[in-house]
Amino acid sequence: MTQTLSRRRFVQLTAAATALFAAGGKAQLGYAPSLTYPAVKVANLSQVKTGQPITFNYPDASSPAILVKLGRPAIGGVGRERDIVAFSALCTHMGCPVQYEGGRFLCRCHYSMFDPAKAGQTYQGLASSWLPQIPLRVDGKGDIYAVAVAGLIWGRVKNV
Amino acid sequence: MALIPRRDQLPIPPKNAKVYNTVCQYCNVGCGYKVYVWPVGEQGGPKPSQNAFGLDLSTPQPPLAGQSYTETMHAVTVGRDGQQYHVVIVPAKDSPINRGDYSIRGGTNALTVWSLDRGTQDRLTYPLLRVGDQFQAITWQDALTLMGLLIKGIRDRDGNDDNIAVKCYDHGGSGQGFEDNYGAGKLFFAALSVKHIAIHNRPAYNSEVWGSRERGVHELNYTYEDARLADTIVLWGANPYETATVFYVEHMLPNIQGATVAEKQQVFERGEPAEPGYLIVIDPRKTSSYTVAAQVAPDRVMLLRPNLGTDYILANAIARAVWEKGYYDMAYLQARTDMALFEEYKAKSLKLSVPYAEFMAQAERITGVSRAEIEKAADWIAKPKAGRFKRRTLTIYEKGIIWNMKNYDQVAAIVQLAVLTHNIGRPGTGCGRQGGHQEGYVRPPAPTPGSIYRGGPPVNVDKFLTDGKGKFYWVIANDPYLSTPNNQVFRKRIHERTEKLTKALGAGGEPGTIRERAQKILDVLYQDPDALFMVVQDIYMTETARDAHLILPAAAWGEANDTSINCNSRLLRLYEKFMDPPGEAKPDWEIFKLVGLRIAELYRAEGKAQEAAKFEFGKDWKTDEDVFLAGAEEFGDNRVSEEDEAKLEAENYKGVTYKLLKELGQKGIQTPVRRDPKTGKLVGTVRRYTYKFGTPDGKFKWYGTDDWEGYPAEVAKYLEGEKARQYPFWVTTGRAQTIWQTAYHDRRLPEKALALPLPYVEVNPEDARRLGLQSGDLVEVYNEEGNGTFLVYVTDAVKPGTLFLVMYHWRGTSNSLVSGYTDPKTTIPWYKGTRANLRKVAGAIPSVQQTASVLQQNKFD
Repeated sequence: MTQTLSRRRFVQLTAAATALFAAGGKAQLGYAPSLTYPAVKVANLSQVKTGQPITFNYPDASSPAILVKLGRPAIGGVGRERDIVAFSALCTHMGCPVQYEGGRFLCRCHYSMFDPAKAGQTYQGLASSWLPQIPLRVDGKGDIYAVAVAGLIWGRVKNV
Repeated sequence: MALIPRRDQLPIPPKNAKVYNTVCQYCNVGCGYKVYVWPVGEQGGPKPSQNAFGLDLSTPQPPLAGQSYTETMHAVTVGRDGQQYHVVIVPAKDSPINRGDYSIRGGTNALTVWSLDRGTQDRLTYPLLRVGDQFQAITWQDALTLMGLLIKGIRDRDGNDDNIAVKCYDHGGSGQGFEDNYGAGKLFFAALSVKHIAIHNRPAYNSEVWGSRERGVHELNYTYEDARLADTIVLWGANPYETATVFYVEHMLPNIQGATVAEKQQVFERGEPAEPGYLIVIDPRKTSSYTVAAQVAPDRVMLLRPNLGTDYILANAIARAVWEKGYYDMAYLQARTDMALFEEYKAKSLKLSVPYAEFMAQAERITGVSRAEIEKAADWIAKPKAGRFKRRTLTIYEKGIIWNMKNYDQVAAIVQLAVLTHNIGRPGTGCGRQGGHQEGYVRPPAPTPGSIYRGGPPVNVDKFLTDGKGKFYWVIANDPYLSTPNNQVFRKRIHERTEKLTKALGAGGEPGTIRERAQKILDVLYQDPDALFMVVQDIYMTETARDAHLILPAAAWGEANDTSINCNSRLLRLYEKFMDPPGEAKPDWEIFKLVGLRIAELYRAEGKAQEAAKFEFGKDWKTDEDVFLAGAEEFGDNRVSEEDEAKLEAENYKGVTYKLLKELGQKGIQTPVRRDPKTGKLVGTVRRYTYKFGTPDGKFKWYGTDDWEGYPAEVAKYLEGEKARQYPFWVTTGRAQTIWQTAYHDRRLPEKALALPLPYVEVNPEDARRLGLQSGDLVEVYNEEGNGTFLVYVTDAVKPGTLFLVMYHWRGTSNSLVSGYTDPKTTIPWYKGTRANLRKVAGAIPSVQQTASVLQQNKFD
C-alpha cells in the first residue's frame, strides 16, 4: 500500500471499529503492565511464517495488533529464534494504522517508523512514544498468547 | 518486560488543573502546546465534565482528529512548596501552526521538566565553585560577588572590556526569548562594551545571512501559509522532515499531495492555474524530506545533489537559465530593484559575457549537476504558468547553505534568484531561512562590526581565545566543547588555559574568602597571560562546564514567562511559566540584572556613581514583562503604513503587552507589528516585501558573486598528493530527527538515548561493501583536525565517497573533524565540509549495538 490514507477515510474506518470501554478507578503511576490483561491466543508456532504478519485485536476489539516473525532476534522475542514479537498496530503519534513492511512498522500518515527488533523504538518520524509491545507467552503445545501491553495504546488514558 | 520504562495508563488532568498556553521549546516551527498542572493525589475522570481536556475519555480518541496524550507527555515535578505536581504537556489543537500535530522532539516536552524520578534530576540547582578538582556549593550572594569583583577588576585594570569574552545565544525558544536577550544586551552592550562576544553556535557575533540582509531582505519574510500556496517549494540545504517536522508534514506535504488546491483557488488571481505543488530538494544527501515526498508524488519531486560548496554556482546557473528563457518580469525588476547594481549581477553572477553553452558546461563541471537538471529546476521555479501567470515559488534554505563554504555568496546567490523571478512578497512565494531554533532578538546596538562590506568581518572569538587572549570567558546556555569548529583544538586550549588558573589558585593553599579568591584570580590572570577564568551559566553540567571555575544555574523553558517568534511566520506568542525553576536556578535576565547590580554596588562603594548607574539597568525589572516592555524601546517607531513595513525591524513588537498576548493565545501576532496610522491599532505583518525592500530607497540591492575559486586551504590540503589517498572521503554533517541540538535533555531520556547512543556515520552501500562494513559496526572517523568513534549506518542517503556525521553528539562531536576555516566576509564557519578517512575498530560494544536501531532512516517505500 503506497497510497496515503486520507484523514476522512481513516476516521471512518476506525470510528466503526471503536468500542466503548470504561475508564474508571485511579490511574497508577507504576510501570506497564500495571493493569490486568487477558491472555488471548493469537496463533500457533506452526502457523507463523517469517515476514508474514498476523493481525489480531488486543486487549479488546478496538485495538488492532500485529504479530510477526522477524527472521532476526528481537528484544522480547519468543520462539526458537526469539524472533516472534507483537505490537499495537496504532501509531503512537496520532493513532493511524501502522503496517509491517520491509522488516519494520511504518505509518503512512506522517511516516513514523518503528523497529520491531528493538522494542518498537521510533527510529524515524514523529512518534515520541515507542510502539507498545505486546509480551507473548508460548505454551507446551506451541500456542502463542498475548498477555499484556507494554506501553500506552494511542488515544487511550488507560489500556483496559 | 520492556527495554525502557513504559506506562499503560496516565493520570487524567482534573477540571481544576491549572492550564497554561505555551509554545514548544525546540525548533523553528514553534508548535503550540497546552500545559496542565495539578497536585499529585488528585485526578480527573473520563467524562468531559470531569477533566480539564473537556473530552470524553471513556472511549479512545479518534485518530488524527483526536487529542494526543501519550506516555512522553506526562511527568511529575516538585514545586518550591515541597509538593509534587503532575505536569501534562500536549500539542495544542487551537494552534494554526501545528493544529494538534507534534514531532518526536516536542512530544517529549513533558519529559524534560525537572523531575526527581528521571534523568532531568541532574539539573543544576545552586551555584557551584571549583576548588581544585571539585565543585562546591556556594550561595548566589558569593557567586555574584565573585563575578562582580572579577569583571570590575579586569575593566578597572585594562580601562576597557576587551579581556572579557562571552559566548551567548541570540535566539528565542529553549527558555530564551526577548526577555533574556534584552538582559544580555543591556549588560554586555550598554553597561559593559564587550567586543569579544560570539553567538551560541559560531565563533563570532554575526548574522548568518548578511548575504540576504544586505540586499534588503530579512531572512524571515514568508508565512507558513505560503508553503500551502506555492506552486513550487525549493528546500535548499534544508531537511525540514527532520528539523522542521510539523511545518513539513502539516503544510508542505499537503501541498505536494494536492490537498491545498482549494486554498490556492481562493488566493490566486482569476483564471490562474492552481495545481498540486512541486518540490525541489537541493542537498548533497538523499534526505528524508526528499524520500517522503517521493512516496507521495514521485513525478512532482526533484533531487539535485551538488558537490559540496558549489551551491552558489548552481543558484547562479539556474538564474542564468531563467535569464536565457526569459522567465522574469523586467517591469518588476525596474520598479523594485537597483538597476545600476543589476549590471554587476549580470556581469559577475549571470556572466552574460560567457556564451550560454560554455557557461553551462562550466557549471556542470563545478557543481556535478547536469545542464538538463539545471534547466528543469529553472522551469519548476520560474516558468510562467498557462495564461502567462507568474509561477509562485517558495525557497527555504538553512544550514546546508548557511554553514557552507563562502556563507555570504551562497546566501546572496539564492535570494537573488528569488528576486530575479519575483518570488518574494506574493502569496505562495518567499525566500528565507527555515530556521534552526526560534528567534527573539532585542538588544542595544552591539559594538561589533558587520560583514566585510559593513566594517567587518567580526572577530573570531574562538581564535582570540585559542591564541591565548582574553582573561574572563562567560559561556551562557551553549556548549562550545561540542559546537565550535576545529573542536579538538578549541577544547584542548581552553582546558589548558583554565587549568593554569586552577593550579595556580591551589598553589600555597586555596584562598579562603570570596574577596581573597577574587584577588588571587586577578593576580594569576595578570601574571600568566595564558591563564583563563571560565564561568558557565546553564541548566545542566555541560561538557564545557567540566572546565569551568564557576557554574551558575539557570531557569529553563516553562520556568519563567518568555516571548519568542517562530521562523515560518514570525509569530509572536507568550510562553507561559507553568512551574518554578529547580532550587535556586534563575532566569538569565535576572542573573544579568543581579550581576549588573553587584558591579554597581562595588562602584558606589568607591564613590563612582556615574559608572554605577550604567550597571543598574535592571533595578526596576521586577517581572519578565518589565524586561519585555523595556526591550521594546530599542525598536524604531512602528507607526507606519502597510506599504512601509519593510522599514521596520523584523522583530519589532512595540506596543505589544503580555495582556494582549494572553488574549491572542495560540493565534499570536506576526512581527513586525505596526501601529496602523489610520486606526491606531496594532497589526501584524503576514508577509514581507510586497511593496518595498528593506533598504533606504526601498530597492533590492544586487551583488555580483565571486567566481568559483576552489576550496579553502584548510580543506584543499586534503585534495592533493598523499593526503588525497589518506583521506579519501568527503565529509558532510547535520542533524537527526530524534535529538535536539547537543541533546542536553535528550541524552537523559531513555527513549532518545537508547535510540541514538553514539554519534553515527552514514556510509554508502558501495563503500560499505568495499570496506566490509555493516550497519551497527563501530568505526573511527579521523583526519588531521581530529577524530571520533561512530556507529555505522549503511544508507544511500550519501553518495559513494561521501560520509555524513551527525552533529553535536555528546559522545563525540563531528566538529572535532571540522577545520577552523570561516568565510572571510562573515566569519561564518563551514561546518559541513571536510575530508576524512575511517577504519573499523576492533571489537564491539554489544550493550549499545543490541539496543539501538540501525534501520535505514530515509527509506519509506
